[in-house]
Amino acid sequence: MALSNEQLERYSRHIILSEVGAKGQKKILDSKVLIIGAGGLGAPAALYLAAAGVGTIGIADADEVDLSNLQRQVIHTTPDVGKAKVLSAQETMNAINPQITVNTYRQFVDASNIMDLIADYDFILDGTDNFPAKFLINDACVLAKKPFSHAGIIRFKGQLMTYVPDKGPCYRCVFREPPPPDAVPTCRQAGVIGAMGGVIGSLQAMEAIKYIIGKGDLLTGYLLTYDALKMDFRKVKLPKVSNCAVCGDSPSILKPFDYEQAVCKV
Amino acid sequence: MADYTIDETVDITDVVCPVTFVKAKVALEELEDGQVLSIRLNDGEPVQNVPRSIKEEGHQILKLIDNGDGTYNLVVKRITLEDQT
Amino acid sequence: MKLTVTGNVKEYADGLTVAKLIELEKVETPLYVTVSINDEFIASGTFEETVLHEGDIVEFLYFMGGGQR
Repeated sequence: MALSNEQLERYSRHIILSEVGAKGQKKILDSKVLIIGAGGLGAPAALYLAAAGVGTIGIADADEVDLSNLQRQVIHTTPDVGKAKVLSAQETMNAINPQITVNTYRQFVDASNIMDLIADYDFILDGTDNFPAKFLINDACVLAKKPFSHAGIIRFKGQLMTYVPDKGPCYRCVFREPPPPDAVPTCRQAGVIGAMGGVIGSLQAMEAIKYIIGKGDLLTGYLLTYDALKMDFRKVKLPKVSNCAVCGDSPSILKPFDYEQAVCKV
Repeated sequence: MADYTIDETVDITDVVCPVTFVKAKVALEELEDGQVLSIRLNDGEPVQNVPRSIKEEGHQILKLIDNGDGTYNLVVKRITLEDQT
Repeated sequence: MKLTVTGNVKEYADGLTVAKLIELEKVETPLYVTVSINDEFIASGTFEETVLHEGDIVEFLYFMGGGQR
């Protein structure tokens, strides 16, 4: 289908790029991205993906908007406090771009629902804040052969990696098992600069766009680390682990499972 | 006497900058290498800028015809650049 | 001996173990850090006995949660 004059205008800054063009923009319009977590990372990612014209965006989160979220979760506004995050996110995305479809999943993602949830999507974006969820998303994406972007942020630091099926190491290759509850600080306990979500969440959106249009080098086989205080970006090479429990040569994890959810003590 | 055959036409008089160029570029993208596109465009800013932008993309301008009604027809041959897909 | 630790080349005492390096570099969560030497991960139970050598490239990879709530 040819792009309408309105679409040509809305997406002109994309289309004018030789790496995108009308072809790339049509790929973006036809693409489906699932964002798990409508928080510090998911908020900026969702804004940019909606603005870019990603045709179908799924957003999963069980929480409601809290006043303390607004320091960084830029998709929600003050009148949204108390509203389901997925609905608040959907309203903002559709206000930016009424042409896209936003599917909302107001639920915690767990082993019982994750395979069905990711099945319809081309790319998954992990914007969760806890390790059981990060390992669950990793395992499910490896098993379902779905590419995904992992990210984490804390204080003045952030990290990011992209998994592409059969191409690179997975999150479990690097980190093996979730740490025990409270062994590693999360941003609730440790704090985070709001703009960190903007930097790292936007990079996740960028990886999704590059994957969709099939251009450039993805962050597969590397962990990007960002230290804002030192203003230092580093790409650390990641070896693929042949005995990885989920993506290795003889995997022992054959279906997704839940680690006991660490109840965050505030 | 024309030494070319027009394969496709596009009218960009219904849009304004920068969509003028974008619409022409998209129409060119959909052609095969060597095919010819006739672009109908307005006098003024479009006729000043669009031919230059198309040339910068590496395509070949064959002719600019003044229609005498404030519009022009720009005849362009598509040239595929290596970094275009 | 010279080691490249998280991208910085520095002088360290010969015979340094990974466990000792973790201490020297004040790694925040010493029990839960992934370590790679020359692009190979080393098993987490072996930090005490793994000795570093001249020119080794060491990276620390940290668990980083956060981002949703």
